[in-house]
Amino acid sequence: MRDGHLADIEALTKAAHAFSERHQMIPHIDWPDGARIAVNFTIDYDAMLRRRMANEPPMQLAKGEFGGRVGIWRLIDLFDRNKVKATFFTPGRICELYPQSLVKITKSGHEIADHMWEHRVPTEPDIEEAHLTRATAALTRIYGRRPVGTRSSHTAGLLRREGYIYRSHGHASASHLPYYLVDQTGKNVLVELPWHYSIDDAMYYNFGWLESVNLAQKLSDPDRVLEMWWAGFRHQYLRGGYYNVVLHPFISGRALRIDMLDRLITRMKTLPGVWFPSCEDVARHCLAHYPPQKDTLA
Amino acid sequence: MPWKDRYTLSDEIAMADADVRWPGKAQCCAMIFVALTDAEHADGLRPADLATGRAQFTMGEGLDLMLEALAKRRLKATFTVPAAMARVWPARIREVAAAGHEIAALGLRHEDVSKLARDDEAARLALTTEIIGEVVGQRPDGWFALPRQNDAFATGAISESTLSLLIDGGYRYMGPGLADDAPHYCCPDYASRRTIVALPYYYHYDDQFFSMFPQQGSGLETTDMMARNWRAELAAQYRRGRCFALYLNPRFIGWCNRMQLLDEFLDELAALPRLWNPTGRECTDHWLATYPPATHFKLEPSVWKDYPDSAS
Repeated sequence: MRDGHLADIEALTKAAHAFSERHQMIPHIDWPDGARIAVNFTIDYDAMLRRRMANEPPMQLAKGEFGGRVGIWRLIDLFDRNKVKATFFTPGRICELYPQSLVKITKSGHEIADHMWEHRVPTEPDIEEAHLTRATAALTRIYGRRPVGTRSSHTAGLLRREGYIYRSHGHASASHLPYYLVDQTGKNVLVELPWHYSIDDAMYYNFGWLESVNLAQKLSDPDRVLEMWWAGFRHQYLRGGYYNVVLHPFISGRALRIDMLDRLITRMKTLPGVWFPSCEDVARHCLAHYPPQKDTLA
Repeated sequence: MPWKDRYTLSDEIAMADADVRWPGKAQCCAMIFVALTDAEHADGLRPADLATGRAQFTMGEGLDLMLEALAKRRLKATFTVPAAMARVWPARIREVAAAGHEIAALGLRHEDVSKLARDDEAARLALTTEIIGEVVGQRPDGWFALPRQNDAFATGAISESTLSLLIDGGYRYMGPGLADDAPHYCCPDYASRRTIVALPYYYHYDDQFFSMFPQQGSGLETTDMMARNWRAELAAQYRRGRCFALYLNPRFIGWCNRMQLLDEFLDELAALPRLWNPTGRECTDHWLATYPPATHFKLEPSVWKDYPDSAS
């Protein structure tokens, strides 16, 4: 009995240590020009793609359609007015559905990054590869350069081969600060730009978030969310850290939430030392000043 | 695939705030929709739904409170009514119409039409038009598929045929419109370019999703959040010069603290100096006359390419 328990604990130890071994944390980051905090606004430009993949009915798709024909334009305007650089994680198919908005994002100097081909990562390796290369090519045609970041669970080796240097995917976030993660082979390191679901607009506002059932819905309001997000920002500001705010055009593009984001950014700007870079800027700063030890990015 | 099928219903870019104009000196449009229904399930009203105190409240004191609140502030509303309710309560529906409000259709029994065969859906729509026309003395111009509390989605459900059937059936506008927060055009098929006006809806301005919702758990009454959403959206839309659409259900909003919240909010809304408060029909008339689809509904050419490993 005792030996069995010890063997179980040994298995737990191996699993935890093996996973830890793949991480290289950055205990503290000095940001450029003495900034106290780097704030990334990251936009998941899904529109209706996830709803389409789930074969949901027409009005569910129209809810997402709002993001492509209304919300995205308001977010671009919000960031431009506030001189905030944002990162738009964009599925390749959006290049066909809403190309003009992507042209505007590019012209405004924001970053376009990958968010899968049609908002899913196929389990078949050859199809996964086809999707990633196709999405990368589609984004490159509009962006004018290859994207270097992804919000996806695409295989790290594939991402590195396609020139990606960072991933920002909430499921993997292991720290408030950016860090490095290698894959199971000990190679293919990527900068991880963490975020948390408590700073994700969908969790507060979207009926049926992550396919949750009807009885799980507790919709919220922007005043309440503003105060929670402000508290989260202050936590990182006081420590000298990083804050990654996740938005969706079909959710935060609604007029009342654009106003809330405007108030949030305005409040952030009342404090000295707040840096609003793109995700690529953050990743390259980390690579330049806190390079990975376990693997290298060529 | 034909361009946009199974992805979008409207065109690629919404009308900019600066291009939206309302009659006279109005800078913003505010519409109020009141749903006279007690349907709980996807198959719509059942006899048991109407044999309840709640249903008595909907068409009794609840409706009285709505009419009183609107009249006190000289506000107009569009009452969305299942044809069956119009047949059950014809005198009450005529009373609503006589007060200057519009009667629009909320299905035959406020049922989910998304799984109906096309013939069945067409027959129900024809009967809906007939019954409401008989009761009100004027056929409905608007048709709605509003969600119910028990629905899997808070967006309402239509079928692949609904938009075409509505156009064929002489309807001029529909709801809920989710792809914009102003009136916009929905197109059932790219080839014909036929359109119908969709009036905006968003579940954050629908009382049923904050009034003891979801139906099990604790701490379910979140009408304070609902009122904050109303105020934030109205303020934002008034400044943008666009449109605010409020959706009410007497059986929910008519009770206790909620009715007080509504009274206070309607006071604020009615006090805005440059607000236009049309019914759905009036708003549709304005939209069609000012922004006809021939010049303002702009479908982009297709650049879509199908792949065997992707959804079409």
